[in-house]
Amino acid sequence: MAENPQGEVTRLLAEWGSGDQNALNKMMPLVYAELHRIARRAWSHSPHNNTLQPTALINEAYLKLANAQTAPFQDRCHFFAVAAKAMRQIMVNHAKSRLAGKRGFGLANISLDDVNPVIHQEAAEIVALHEALEALHAVDPRKSQVVEMRYFGGLSVDETAEAMGVSVATVNRDWRLARSWLIREMNCESP
Amino acid sequence: MNRPPRWDEIERLYHQALELPVGQRDILLARAHPTLREQVESLLAADCKAELLAVPPTHIVADLLDAEGGGLTPGQRVADYAIESLVSVGGMGEVYLARDQEGRPVALKILRRHLTMSAQAVNRFETEARAASALCHPNIVAVYQSGEFPAGLFIAMEWVDGSTFRAIMTAGQVEITDAMNWGGQAARAVAAAHEAGILHRDMKPENIMLRKDGVVKILDFGLARDGGARGPEASSMGGSGTISGTLSGTLLYMSPEILRGESATTASDVFSLGTIVYELVARQHPFAGETRLDVFEAIECRPVAPIASLRNGVPQEVDRLILAMLDRRPEGRPSAAEVWELLRRS
Repeated sequence: MAENPQGEVTRLLAEWGSGDQNALNKMMPLVYAELHRIARRAWSHSPHNNTLQPTALINEAYLKLANAQTAPFQDRCHFFAVAAKAMRQIMVNHAKSRLAGKRGFGLANISLDDVNPVIHQEAAEIVALHEALEALHAVDPRKSQVVEMRYFGGLSVDETAEAMGVSVATVNRDWRLARSWLIREMNCESP
Repeated sequence: MNRPPRWDEIERLYHQALELPVGQRDILLARAHPTLREQVESLLAADCKAELLAVPPTHIVADLLDAEGGGLTPGQRVADYAIESLVSVGGMGEVYLARDQEGRPVALKILRRHLTMSAQAVNRFETEARAASALCHPNIVAVYQSGEFPAGLFIAMEWVDGSTFRAIMTAGQVEITDAMNWGGQAARAVAAAHEAGILHRDMKPENIMLRKDGVVKILDFGLARDGGARGPEASSMGGSGTISGTLSGTLLYMSPEILRGESATTASDVFSLGTIVYELVARQHPFAGETRLDVFEAIECRPVAPIASLRNGVPQEVDRLILAMLDRRPEGRPSAAEVWELLRRS
């Protein structure tokens, strides 16, 4: 399976398109691994280019994994939905490992800034957002998916609408309410 | 009638309210059932401070994937400076100890590479460089140079060999005379900045250092803007460049008017400084609370205990001065220059 992720993903996309929900579960690890690899490479080779835009990463993973020339357009949308989910997992996993102290900085002489309150802040917020999104999912799955695609997947409103098969107006409204809801949720939890 | 409101009801009313001008929303909401109204009002309140999700996750991804906490290695050059060691990592970037060509130590603040993609972060960084270099004062950290290098932006600053007020307070009790002396020096610096038309806007114990020889140095003019130019963003408390500045900024040193979303003035800096001096002298924070809401309420309306009730030996006029700095009405507070005058004489 790992020998040819491209053929695998193309096949799984087709299966998913024809209603097989299991295909999604099988596709996730492949997409995750590819995105992770691309992100690492992009960052270590050229730290100040724009390839770390999630959409750019996802596009590259799509070109790599799916048979982009022949795949139906709908497959591309489906792929983006999966990839946004994978991006979310990548970020949350990294944030969690950072919070767990796997990335200690070993600072001997801290004098210009107090490190501890901020050092884990970004990571903590990613995790808090992730948890708030899960709570939102329980209330309104579509809105949580809109946030996942827009925020973690970096998709535009139009792309999100396309991928989800809803109108642009719906995405806009969902996005706004979801954002308010998440802010309220996160404010209550973090003193 | 006490069932919780249905989600679709909340959703409908929320969007209806958003379509109305702010002033007319109350009329619409007044007609709704109290529990529904409460839900929608809290969502609308959250909508106002929607900084959440404003920063693309690109920055976070890059940060999290960046294998090295500090991207620069010892010996590496940034303009004319040679990196010696990583000092700290904050939301906005790293601070390094570096050496200039004569071998003198400088603090090199780096805007993380990925953050240079965010215009907002770059703007804030450049504002800091500008504001601080416009100020030449013995109690304000001097900025030597700022610029760009292949991996990002940098500010070269005076190296302060000492500890932050936060670290000092954590380490143990501060003598009353020391607290007054340090508070006075900080007030003197703030007075000089105000004289130059510059507000600090983010005074907190993490931003004030005591050099080993006893000289106080104020740093981090990251949120500083010229006193005259006040934008709507004045109330955004974020200084971190993270997902949600509003959620992460510390409330503890913010004045009531800033919490209400009003523009910062020189009196707002005085309030923040008053909070810090109170904490130094009284050994406890005047507005401490379990949650953000507790802190918010404390700053808004909880009476501040005179320091005499917490610690003996504080001169009465100093106690009065600090309470006056914490006056909820900005016009009731002394100026930074007056604070400096009084603390100097005490």
